[in-house]
Amino acid sequence: MFAYVASVLFLAKIGSGVLSLLASIGRVSWFIVESCMAGFMPPYYWKQILQQVIQIGYFSLPVVGMTALFTGMAMTLQCYTGFSKLTAESAIPSVVMIAMTRELGPVLTALMVAGRLGASMTAEIGTMKVTEQIDALTTLSVNSHRYLVFPRILAGTIFLPFLVFIDDIIGILGGYIVGVHYLHFNAANYIHNTFTAMTPWDVMSGLIKGAVFGFIVCVMGCYHGYLSNRGAEGVGRATTNSVVSSSIMILLLDCILTFMLF
Amino acid sequence: MEYVIEVSDLAHSFGRLDVLRGISLKIRRGESYVIIGGSGSGKSVLVKCILGLIKPKAGTVKINGMDTATLSRKEMHKTLLKCGVLYQGGALFDSLNVIDNISFGLVYGYGKAQKEAYKIAMKYLEAVDLGPEVARIFPAELSGGMRKRVALARALATDPDIIFFDEPTTGLDPITTCVIDNLIVKCTKEVGISALSITHDIASMKRISDTVGLIHDGEIIWEGSSSDVDTTDDPHVRQFVDRSLTGPFTKS
Repeated sequence: MFAYVASVLFLAKIGSGVLSLLASIGRVSWFIVESCMAGFMPPYYWKQILQQVIQIGYFSLPVVGMTALFTGMAMTLQCYTGFSKLTAESAIPSVVMIAMTRELGPVLTALMVAGRLGASMTAEIGTMKVTEQIDALTTLSVNSHRYLVFPRILAGTIFLPFLVFIDDIIGILGGYIVGVHYLHFNAANYIHNTFTAMTPWDVMSGLIKGAVFGFIVCVMGCYHGYLSNRGAEGVGRATTNSVVSSSIMILLLDCILTFMLF
Repeated sequence: MEYVIEVSDLAHSFGRLDVLRGISLKIRRGESYVIIGGSGSGKSVLVKCILGLIKPKAGTVKINGMDTATLSRKEMHKTLLKCGVLYQGGALFDSLNVIDNISFGLVYGYGKAQKEAYKIAMKYLEAVDLGPEVARIFPAELSGGMRKRVALARALATDPDIIFFDEPTTGLDPITTCVIDNLIVKCTKEVGISALSITHDIASMKRISDTVGLIHDGEIIWEGSSSDVDTTDDPHVRQFVDRSLTGPFTKS
């Protein structure tokens, strides 16, 4: 009898967890549909879109660039540790290039943007929600999804691939700096080995990932901001949830997309 | 009789908690209606339901004779443009300066050119007794009273038929409270705008109201003119107005 009750309770717990997950997916999906429907209909808020483009595409450059540079440098050193044992040092430039363009570029860029911009989006929209600024937008006849959410999603989806591209270049450059100036590779050979193995698809697949991740980071940032309540504590919790859920989604989707774009 | 707002049997609940229970009220053109009541009695929810910010579970809301539930999104936007709202904390947009805040509804709601909107905004900034030197300041740099005045200017800038005041004088010193009250009276008596206000401030209520409704547990339990408030024997009104600890309102 006890085992029966325990198993029923266990199944009920799993069931409620699944239902809650499905409800969350439904809410996020509806949020996306509502925002995109509002955004594609006039009036278009070009100024807001431009502001977000500058925020995402320009102000994220230093942090993304530094991450790429250090990752590229460290990766070259780590590769050297392993590859030198196999006397395969000449493969290091290609490996660094493939790792940066296909994997590290999009994932690290997205994670940095999630930490920097996703969190700030949630905090900004969350504060607007708890201080009734979103209600004020509505009563001033401005669709808050069109004004606040769509410009962020659009800018994130279009400009994260741009950041990924910059990240790729700086990451490969970081590898070059360590390879040539620290490990004393021949510069011409290093460049030759980098680009011989490169295909357009290596870069393209990373850019596709970047667009998907940009969309996810901005949707999560705005969605959690909209869910904020109960003052500063609620905004803080929403910001944490936004960064955690964005990061998990990035890593999960990275795995799925890698299988799809392999 | 022409009513700008007609609310019939409005009901709303959050989960199992009934917040509004069949509220009905009518506001005439140019009338100043003040709702008083304790914290958590449903005053703010009532205003949000009237403005369509919360979809009520039951009942109808008519603004300028139009049932808001049957309006298309576009029609609702047009209706809302005729409603100004002064939120409790002002709800000024932090990222915009004072002049951009005031002209916001004109630019994004009415689609006016920025230059024209600024001109109108400056006029309303002056109307709330603020000088042009405030125009480029951001909300974070303003005092509580100035924020309320800027928020009032923003509410007035779209030339509304009705203004909603959510606790307009909360947290203000007595003099600033008087200034805000006078501005509200100016709006209703001189400009002829209808007003629905929520307040806990009895002195302020007496200054700005034509009609007063006392809300308790999601119901309007007393309604009368501003002068009736002092003469009524209703125990609820008496306890509330006289700030008495004993009476029908029990606080645990």
